[in-house]
Amino acid sequence: MTDGKSVIKTRKLTKIYPGNTRAVDGIDFEVKSGEIFAFLGPNGAGKTTTIKMLNTLITPTSGRAMVAGFDVAKNPGEVRKRIGYTGQDVGVDEFATARENLTLYGHFYRLDNDTIKRRVKKILDIVGLTGYENKMVSTYSGGMRKRLDLAMGLIHRPQILFLDEPTTGLDPQTRAHVWEYIRKLVTNLNMTIFLTTHYMEEADRLANRIAIIDLGKIITTGTADELKRSIGGDVVTLSPCDDKDEACKEFVRRTEAILTGKPFVVGTKPTDGELAVYVNNGESAIPSIMSLMTSEGIAVKTISMSRPSLDDVFLKYTGRTIRAQEGTRTTMVQIRKMGNRRRG
Amino acid sequence: MNALTDTWYITLSSLRARIRMPVFIFMSLSQPILFLLLFPQIFKAVGSSMFAGGTSYLQFFTPGILVMTGLFSAAFSGMGMIIAMDTGILSKMLATPVTRVSIILGRVIATVVVLLAQAAIILVIAVIMGVHIQTGVGGALLALLLIGLLGLGISAFSEGMALLLKRQENLMAVVNLFTMPLMFLSTMMMPSELLPNWLDTFRHFNPIDYAIVGVRGLILNGYIWSDLWRSFAVLCGVAVVGVAFATMMFRKRAE
Repeated sequence: MTDGKSVIKTRKLTKIYPGNTRAVDGIDFEVKSGEIFAFLGPNGAGKTTTIKMLNTLITPTSGRAMVAGFDVAKNPGEVRKRIGYTGQDVGVDEFATARENLTLYGHFYRLDNDTIKRRVKKILDIVGLTGYENKMVSTYSGGMRKRLDLAMGLIHRPQILFLDEPTTGLDPQTRAHVWEYIRKLVTNLNMTIFLTTHYMEEADRLANRIAIIDLGKIITTGTADELKRSIGGDVVTLSPCDDKDEACKEFVRRTEAILTGKPFVVGTKPTDGELAVYVNNGESAIPSIMSLMTSEGIAVKTISMSRPSLDDVFLKYTGRTIRAQEGTRTTMVQIRKMGNRRRG
Repeated sequence: MNALTDTWYITLSSLRARIRMPVFIFMSLSQPILFLLLFPQIFKAVGSSMFAGGTSYLQFFTPGILVMTGLFSAAFSGMGMIIAMDTGILSKMLATPVTRVSIILGRVIATVVVLLAQAAIILVIAVIMGVHIQTGVGGALLALLLIGLLGLGISAFSEGMALLLKRQENLMAVVNLFTMPLMFLSTMMMPSELLPNWLDTFRHFNPIDYAIVGVRGLILNGYIWSDLWRSFAVLCGVAVVGVAFATMMFRKRAE
């Protein structure tokens, strides 16, 4: 699929908003033709700001970004001809049909009427809206709207498709459908896809390569497997206490001190009341850990083993979990909305 | 060339959206129709003593109502822009090669088409009620042209304010702050001879009064070009300034 040609390349790409907020802080990355590349990170990490710099909606404060062979700041018009964009909000006209929405975008890309007609038919088929093309969008379900939203970025066969949190707010079933459509696009239309997400599963299942982003910086890049391997074979999570109090934190600290440097331990990471231990082989590590704890007089209350997830990768590099931050989703969205309003 | 075709397609899609919500088009007609029915009744006694030559108050008041219809429709034009911003429609469009200025022009032209249709409906109702247009069909079309120019300027201004204020509540407040006083601080309801001096001075700075005076001239007095030119010149100025303001705000919004 990938032919190795670079279609997105950034150098020290930076966006500073008024009030000296460094939303994106000097990031470098490269996306190859035919890849599905995901930006994974919590809300407020700088994902949307990055995507909006790449699709020419906002101008970088400094640094450079080349998209489809053109500089986003110097040649935004050329970039726009070659990209498709689906934002977080479903930007479709409620008072028009799917066909009318798609046709309008066809005209924006200067396609002639015959081409538009042909492509509308094909695209509606790809996103599974055939039969609904002449129905008003206001009668569509959320999933149908999102699919139309995706389709609108495809009418001109873009080289690169930008998807900003393509499945946020969709139910699990619809989400799986949307993933399927995105995969179809890559195989049917040979497109490069750049997507942002805060769902680990989405990055894991969909992306060829993932960049983990936090606080405006890229922390690490690789395939899902590479990232997981980078933290060792297995994750053993142990909790030396029932309550998450100060005494418990002390136990976690002591446990970490004991295990650090042991030959079978690749790394450790404490969270509140628990200690994640990255090991090469979980099955053999558990007895060793238990005997060490017993000899030091620490009573382990619970112990569990799992294959590393991208959340463990995020935890290892940032000391926080993405999951722990999902609870604040609403507040983050509100803050961002307010920010957008202020920024305009 | 691209700007023209883009404007054309955006005008068509904005018009389509409006026609599919006919409720709004008729709702905004209800107030002018009510005024048209009510005010001539209230001022009936005054009317006969106010004007020489048997001009009825209805005859005098109709031009004001026509301009009011256009003004109100145009002033709320920016609401649609705020919806486009909130729903992500605008961002999505801006990521395409569409000519930027077409997004504003297409929306404004659609607003003007709708408000002209509304003004034409009001004019037909007025004629049915007995209003006589001195200059006939030609004059009526010229009157609509004046209202269209005012609508162009005001709706562009409203789109610009929408981009600046970003919230429907704020835009509502600004629209109400300006439209009502500008309507009343004009010769809409009273001839200039009966206005207090300060108001008669103020109206010369009120673009809406130029529209009313122009339309009234065509309906009551015939083609008095010396007056008409002044109205056309001022309203063309309003249109140019409005579109320039909206374009500037849009550039700022799109960085």
